Amino acid sequence: MEITFKILRFDPDKDKKPYYRKYTVKVEPGMTVLDGLNEIKWRQDGTLSYRRSCRSAICGSCAMTINGVNRLACNTQILLLKRKTIVVEPLRRFPVIKDLIVDMDDFFEKIAIIKPYLIANSPAGPRERFQSPEDRKLLDEAVICILCGACTSSCPSYWYNKNYLGPASLFKAYRFIFDSRDEGTEERLRIISDRDGLWRCHSIFNCVEACPKSLNPTYAIAELKKKIVTTKL
Amino acid sequence: MFYRWHVGTVAWILHRLSGVLIVVYLVLHIWVMSFLQKGPESFNRIMRLLESPLFKLLEIGLLGVVIYHALNGIRLVILDLGWGMAHQKKMFWAVVVVGIVIFVLGAIPLYPF
Repeated sequence: MEITFKILRFDPDKDKKPYYRKYTVKVEPGMTVLDGLNEIKWRQDGTLSYRRSCRSAICGSCAMTINGVNRLACNTQILLLKRKTIVVEPLRRFPVIKDLIVDMDDFFEKIAIIKPYLIANSPAGPRERFQSPEDRKLLDEAVICILCGACTSSCPSYWYNKNYLGPASLFKAYRFIFDSRDEGTEERLRIISDRDGLWRCHSIFNCVEACPKSLNPTYAIAELKKKIVTTKL
Repeated sequence: MFYRWHVGTVAWILHRLSGVLIVVYLVLHIWVMSFLQKGPESFNRIMRLLESPLFKLLEIGLLGVVIYHALNGIRLVILDLGWGMAHQKKMFWAVVVVGIVIFVLGAIPLYPF
């Protein structure tokens, strides 16, 4: 089946503005959008640029906007989209470096802000810091995040204010604040309880719709809101 | 650069829009009330104007706006408490259905024709 790929292209050395370019690809059942992009790059137009690595939805490199929703190109099957034309755009609101490659520096900066590592000042036990299976359960979703940026780039609050930490960063904050071994809760709550922190979340749920790992950052943010109002800072 | 409108997006946009409309109404309401201090004559004149069918219809519109904002506000409070996260879409449709019922019940007595 022939499918048209409409890709938003931009080369800062040559183009003043981004523009759409169409490619036709012969698609077989099971082919992913990433397979389609490879087909274009390898056989039709070698100048097309995009990030990809693991092609199995674990590295988080190939997040992009596909038919108006953020997804991973590698776990989105073309025929399951049920469209003759597939529109592929870079993650919105992130600065475009070239074609589908966006600058993720600010995104990772915001992960770093919330101190994404275990803070524990009390001495560890003779062998390790124990955690009960029940306590570990609280983190089940949060540890799965692959930091692809699909959620933050889908968030209307982030579109309107780039200073907003965004769902990915807050989800990471949840992962450590709700870790029973961690002692940096107060520090982190102070960081996220900021005018550009979690109070910019308006429970729009775009991040939940976008997450390729089917995680729920909005739930984590709601838990953090409760934690902040019940903790004396 | 179109981004798909999910149920949550629509609920949010309507919530914002209804919020702005309510603020606009509040300002108009206070302005109308300010005629009270200009004496009974001028107040009666503006009240007669407000009894025209056009304003009755606008009042019905206001009823709809307030009902949506109130019910979706309850939905947001419930979600912010971390309850029913997996059912936020169903909760939106519940807001719509309950809202329409209350709206119809409230709009019938207001209907000017």
